[in-house]
Amino acid sequence: MSTPGISILEGKYMATMDLFPQQSKEFNQMTPFYEHLREGRFTTTKCKGCGAESFPPRVMCPECFSVDLEWIDWPTVGTVIDVTEEMVGVPLGFGKPPLIHALVDLQGKKTFFVRIINCNAGELKSGDQVRLSVFDVDPVPQEVGREVVEIPRVFYAFEPVK
Amino acid sequence: MDRKVCVVAGGMSKWGVRDGSQRDFFQEAAKACYDDNPLMDPKDIDGLLVASAYTERTSYQTHLAPLVAEYAGIKPKNICARVELLCASGSSAIILAYAMIKSGQADIVMVAGGEKLYTPQKWEVFYSELASVDHDWDSSQGLGLPPPVFAMVAKQHMKQYGTKKEHLAAVTVKNRRNSALNPKAQFQNAVTMEEVMSGRMIVPPLTLYDCCPITDGAAAVVLAVEEKAKEMTNKPLVYVMGTGQASVNNMSANMPNWTTWEALKIAGAQAYAKSKVSPDEINVAMTHDCFTISEIIEMEDLGFCKKGEGGVFVGDGQNDFGGKIPTNTDGGLLGCGHPFGGTGIRQGIEVMKQLRGDAIQQVPNATFGLTHNLSGFIAAHTVLIYGKEVR
Ligand SMILES: [Zn+2]
Repeated sequence: MSTPGISILEGKYMATMDLFPQQSKEFNQMTPFYEHLREGRFTTTKCKGCGAESFPPRVMCPECFSVDLEWIDWPTVGTVIDVTEEMVGVPLGFGKPPLIHALVDLQGKKTFFVRIINCNAGELKSGDQVRLSVFDVDPVPQEVGREVVEIPRVFYAFEPVK
Repeated sequence: MDRKVCVVAGGMSKWGVRDGSQRDFFQEAAKACYDDNPLMDPKDIDGLLVASAYTERTSYQTHLAPLVAEYAGIKPKNICARVELLCASGSSAIILAYAMIKSGQADIVMVAGGEKLYTPQKWEVFYSELASVDHDWDSSQGLGLPPPVFAMVAKQHMKQYGTKKEHLAAVTVKNRRNSALNPKAQFQNAVTMEEVMSGRMIVPPLTLYDCCPITDGAAAVVLAVEEKAKEMTNKPLVYVMGTGQASVNNMSANMPNWTTWEALKIAGAQAYAKSKVSPDEINVAMTHDCFTISEIIEMEDLGFCKKGEGGVFVGDGQNDFGGKIPTNTDGGLLGCGHPFGGTGIRQGIEVMKQLRGDAIQQVPNATFGLTHNLSGFIAAHTVLIYGKEVR
């Protein structure tokens, strides 16, 4: 990888330019979320004290401040409330326009505003079902001792249920 | 003794796609601020708060306040620090300057805000915007400072309340007409309803004209305790009356309502209560028109019209000169542009001028003015109320 104008960065990884989150345990305690994604599961943390199910997943319950939390499964299929299609200004890394997003009711758990993939422009409508879709993203070349090890990563979007 | 706080000077650099660096614009803003009030001696300024959101990303510069102090020719002794709340950084800094002066921690504080957003390659600013919302959970869905979010807000508002594309367009036509008369604004030309309605689609229903641009520039104001303010200016005194700033969620999944902005209602209620002013007493407002739909919802949730009637309200010109609440009289974000840290300060300057009576387009007998910012994924709201008197 070359970085024009800054030759000393040739081959260097920059976390500050990474559009996806760090997922390895050294840089994120929410590593199980991403491990579950690989299994096709959409999970979050539930408080064993008060029962609150928060999203994003937490270290501490924001309702009762307990740190006694457990991972639970949430639905992987939701219902589209409405759709947007971005024609201009799609950020680097999110493909060619249109970049499609939908407001999705995840069976009453939360209303997510998420990216929709594997979907043609104009295809998705209010009331349609969408499901979790997990994909690989660039691994992080992370220093482990004196070695540089590629840490694989995944991320998620939703896709139409056909 | 209750200390009262006044705005005694304000000025801004030219805003737009600018030649120059962040530090150049801060000097231009300081100069314009000093020129606004020749009676003021900048050497008397005892505190500096600097508002900038992207300084680390687009100028690779942290620890910005001492740099700005050095270039602005001031030597603060009570505070010299930066404040960041993205689009509301400038307003946040004014709130903190107000609090410092009111509490006796400082007497005369400069608040300067601005950004150099354009980089040698344009993709970088859009990419950097992925730092603006929850990076791990919303940015990674391709949402930066996201037109899709406001397109969704507009669609839901249209569905729930019958708001029309023409209502959105009316906001742009008004604000661009105002910016055309403001020599500091990014856009120096007015646009017609026909041009706006046939604009290039960005995210339906939002076209190019529904979205504020990316902007370089800076702005500065000076706040002072009343006793000193009286000696520092021969213009009418403008007071900060009360403020509110609220956040009830950050990530999109935790947004309580897409078309009624709960945090805005809370911030507004706080500001009105502390100022002892009601919405129908406000004579002029600068609200956060990052997208046209925002100004419509702000009219509703700030209490200038009934919930759901914002579209008809702006369509009827009720937030234009001669209407109920002249709004964004200097062009707003849609006309002036939006260098994040500068915006709240730009709004404060226009309200100061309106209340002093020397605005470019004057609202007759303006006594109370309001400024508002939203920031991030509509995740925080900031409201300030200014007046020619304090209650
Ligand atoms: Zn709990």
